[in-house]
Amino acid sequence: MTPRLAVENLSVRFGGLLAVRDVSLRVDPGEIRGLIGPNGAGKTTVINAITGAVAIAQGRVLLDGAVVSRLPAHVLSRRGIGRTFQHVEPFGELSVLDNVLVGIGRHAHVGFTRAALATPAARLVEREATREALGVLERFDLLSYRDTAAADLPFGVLKRMDLARALAGRPTLLLMDEPTSGMSESEADRAIAAARTLAESQGITLLVIEHNMRVMMALAHSVTVMQNGAVIAEGEPATIQRDRTVIDAYLGEEARDAVH
Amino acid sequence: MGAAVVLLGLGAAGLGSYPIYLLSLAMINVIAAVGLNLLTGNSGQISLCHSSFMAIGAYGSALLTARLGIPFWGSIPLGAALAALIGALVGAPASRLRGIYLALATLGFLQIVQIAIEELADITGGVRGLTIPKAQIGGVRLSEYARFLLVLGCCAFGIWTARNLLASRVGRELDAVRLSPHAAQALGVSVHRVRLAAFALSAAYAGVAGGLQAIVVGFIDPVEFGVSAALRQITFIVVGGMGSVGGSVLGAAVLSALPEVLRPVKEYSDIIYTLILLGFLIFLPHGLIALWRRIARRMQRRDMPAAVGAQS
Repeated sequence: MTPRLAVENLSVRFGGLLAVRDVSLRVDPGEIRGLIGPNGAGKTTVINAITGAVAIAQGRVLLDGAVVSRLPAHVLSRRGIGRTFQHVEPFGELSVLDNVLVGIGRHAHVGFTRAALATPAARLVEREATREALGVLERFDLLSYRDTAAADLPFGVLKRMDLARALAGRPTLLLMDEPTSGMSESEADRAIAAARTLAESQGITLLVIEHNMRVMMALAHSVTVMQNGAVIAEGEPATIQRDRTVIDAYLGEEARDAVH
Repeated sequence: MGAAVVLLGLGAAGLGSYPIYLLSLAMINVIAAVGLNLLTGNSGQISLCHSSFMAIGAYGSALLTARLGIPFWGSIPLGAALAALIGALVGAPASRLRGIYLALATLGFLQIVQIAIEELADITGGVRGLTIPKAQIGGVRLSEYARFLLVLGCCAFGIWTARNLLASRVGRELDAVRLSPHAAQALGVSVHRVRLAAFALSAAYAGVAGGLQAIVVGFIDPVEFGVSAALRQITFIVVGGMGSVGGSVLGAAVLSALPEVLRPVKEYSDIIYTLILLGFLIFLPHGLIALWRRIARRMQRRDMPAAVGAQS
């Protein structure tokens, strides 16, 4: 089977610092892959490299077997790579509905002239896009916030909007950067359930950065562990949890954190 | 909006020549401000060369008429298209720059256009300026009132198209690119293309404004399109309200009337202008349109209990 995402020998350099070192990763269609590791391990940088937000020094990225590395970020998004952010970057002054409509963008294309003249065709596309966006808002329980400026949203709702906005573009691969960070346990459980539904009923492949081991256990089919920019282990969540190297590098740290 | 246009069109029929001329100039300012606001207020790119795109529209359409005999209804759109094209050329490198660097780059372009007009004196008339042939349709000269109606039509069309654009995908992407280029890019928006398109679009509005100004005033020279004109246009949108079509209209209309109000203290008009700009930046950063909305809301709230009382 051609993997949905293949990262081959990826390296990313920030000046003199090798932030990601020779990382390889295969994620099959419909799989939920966890990506864990201590702070500064290079997890977010891997996601940024896959989405074209940072330049790749070496290696390549393949989507459904086609090389997509070095394509600009907006093209990668249109090819079906969606992402959510650890620190959500909302279009703060825009309403929740408009935020999601930006995400729908490529499915609601209208030319400049038609938009300026508000032709019947342009208005039809706009109506359809709005209907689709409202459907997305409904699925994410955001309808009551449709006209609220994104900057005024409570944290948990903002996270939900970020996910809704990313999924509005109908990605086939979704990269999630700490989807449950800052959430209460019950909020996190709901987010996990939502993510599982995405993978299982819509066939969306997920690569999820997650700090919380409990969440990772409940969510991921398999887990990749990073430390200092390199992959140090890979396997099923239960196996990873018992892995000596991983415990030393990461879980040990978390266990120590838990003691404090 | 339609009612306002008809009212203004009919009402002006009874006005004298000078008020009609002033109203025309004010509406030309509105067109230019609407264009600049799409670029600066919505896409978030500062421009200190908006008056240069007006110059390109003005000289372009005037020369097309004078040299090639193309009537104004053909030469003004062509002048605007030329301004849009050059706008895209300026936008291509400019959209990679931010803030103060973009301000400097656009100021540099303004200087280039100024020098080009002065040096190409054989074509443009140089610093002595260019007298514009009277606008006519089928050999009949447009009266002052007809020219006013032409400007009014263009102004209404400009406002209408800008509102349509802002209510569409185009407007959302302009705002998205200003508010978070990173997120916009991740959602499939080509930030570079949107920034470039914003330059071309705003230059087209300026081009139309320039073409109309040439016809209405009957004379153009480079000073009209210099840096003080560019700064005045920035003042329009700051005072009116950034990112809002209504703001562009309010700002340009109010500030166009200002020179007439200030006529008795003319020597101090520059100082007063600057004080107004500073005052708005400090006390009303969202402009007159925000003030307007606040007042409208307050009046609504005051009406509400009365309405409830009437029902019971």
